[in-house]
Amino acid sequence: MAPTAALVEASGLVKEFRRPRKAPGLAGALRHLVTRRFDVHRAVDGIDLRVDEGESVAYVGPNGAGKSTTVKLLTGILVPTAGEVRVAGVVPHRDRVANARNVGVVFGQRTQLWWDLPVQDTFELLRDMYRIPAADYRRSMDRLCEVLEIGSLLPVLARKLSLGQRMRADLAAALLHEPRIVYLDEPTIGLDVSVKDRVRAFLRQLVADGTTVLLTTHDVGDIEEVCRRIVVVDEGRIRHDGPVDVLRDTLAGHSTVRFQLAAPAPLELIRQHLPDAEVSAGAGERDLVVRFDRTLRPAGAVAAAVMGLVEVRDLRIDDEGVADLIRRLHDRDSPAALTGAG
Amino acid sequence: MRPYRAMARIAWRNALAYRVPFLMSLSMLVFNLVAMFALWQALLGDGNSLAGFTWPQMKAYLLVSFFTNCLVSTFTDFAMASRIRSGAVAVDLVKPVDYQKGRFAEALGFALLETAAAATVCAVVLVAFGGVPLPPPGRLALFVASLAAVVPLKFLIVYMCGLICFWTQNYLGISLARVAVSGILSGATVPLAFFPAWLRHVAEALPFQAVTNTPAMLFLGRSPGLPGALAVAVQLLWVVALWWLARRLWHVAVRRLTVHGG
Repeated sequence: MAPTAALVEASGLVKEFRRPRKAPGLAGALRHLVTRRFDVHRAVDGIDLRVDEGESVAYVGPNGAGKSTTVKLLTGILVPTAGEVRVAGVVPHRDRVANARNVGVVFGQRTQLWWDLPVQDTFELLRDMYRIPAADYRRSMDRLCEVLEIGSLLPVLARKLSLGQRMRADLAAALLHEPRIVYLDEPTIGLDVSVKDRVRAFLRQLVADGTTVLLTTHDVGDIEEVCRRIVVVDEGRIRHDGPVDVLRDTLAGHSTVRFQLAAPAPLELIRQHLPDAEVSAGAGERDLVVRFDRTLRPAGAVAAAVMGLVEVRDLRIDDEGVADLIRRLHDRDSPAALTGAG
Repeated sequence: MRPYRAMARIAWRNALAYRVPFLMSLSMLVFNLVAMFALWQALLGDGNSLAGFTWPQMKAYLLVSFFTNCLVSTFTDFAMASRIRSGAVAVDLVKPVDYQKGRFAEALGFALLETAAAATVCAVVLVAFGGVPLPPPGRLALFVASLAAVVPLKFLIVYMCGLICFWTQNYLGISLARVAVSGILSGATVPLAFFPAWLRHVAEALPFQAVTNTPAMLFLGRSPGLPGALAVAVQLLWVVALWWLARRLWHVAVRRLTVHGG
């Protein structure tokens, strides 16, 4: 097992953004000049997080949940409105330079490569920026070139790289100085399946070698293949925090039956007959989704109960995985979004 | 030093990658120089002098002014502003280098190219329009020192304007305002000697005049009341003061940073 020294410690972390409130049109713009009004938006709303050395954490949640903002607070890019952060004993936004030596960051949607220069130049700049000794640099480069297969990309201008090549080069750039913790903000976004597999295999190796990894993602594959712990965040708060395999086991006890009915679904009626199941409407008005604990009643009993009440045209039974958790999380209207997570 | 040397070096190489926009903006300054030469030659060409300037002296003034206009111009501010606006500044903030020193190192890298280009243009103009009176060696050395001091000084003015982007998210207006204000108050548009007394006093109390007026006056040997060495000392004092002020401004500005999305 990994040693258990806290590498990241955040408590009561809050970040508020002020957004100007402007009425539309010229009149609105003029009025804003005189009476400036702002909406305060709490992107991160009291987050407590502790990550130990050697952990691999997936930080997930719907768009706008505060994932990226949290990463930017942990890396010291943003200054928190309230609360405290320490990463390897350093307050990141107060001592950016010391923090930068301990961490590596990959933003899936941004690059840190110098756009108009060969990839090699960026690596050499980073070598000097991090004051990496020549021998360490060579060893680090050799390893990264081998596992990420970027050797042939070194003389290429960064802007000529494909997205997959760019991501591999960016990963190498973030890891060149052998940071203790790596933050990956959607590292597989937009990549095709084979490149995704390569990136994930690389990240798994990184974790196995003892580097602490915190990644935000929408991709279930990233979570299941790379991370041992999952933290689910929504509306700036942590909603769930636990091992990925426990979550999978909890969810494995649940099934979902999707019905297609002959007529619009009488939701209330069905709820009365299946009180311990979660009954909701599907995409169309004749769709019906029933989610239930398989240990309490078998799928057949659920199907029979529904068929006794309404005319069923078609039905499909799904076992759940982490994917369903994410999917239901993204559907914020569902009040029971996390019942399966315990 | 090693990180900053590397940043200056890569900025220089990056500037070479952008040589076309660089040459375009340089040519704008050259056109301006040619126009000013034509204007002042018409006024002073037949042996007149205005506010104590003869034609050879005015030629020297215009060349020094052109030189200081070229230094720390095109790259620093727009590069910085666009990174703040696009959120790419996030990447700069996770590097083990001080932000201000890092930008200064880059400005130095660019300044190398700018100096080379400006010196070439000056040489060509000198050949085309005839010589200008050279100052004696001692003053020439002071002039070169004062020209060198222009680089950090102008960088700090440009850098602080760039930081305003954290508030406005728009840079074009700020940049145009900066060019207009510093163009007038530095003496780059018209020598301070032509200003009404009150405006001259205002200009002399501000850092802008140390960008163009100070080196030009040193070159011409016309630093009124101030021995040359003192003029350079005043420049350096401005550098120290503005460096400190820029740091304060940065600490306020960075708290306002919002970077949305990945």
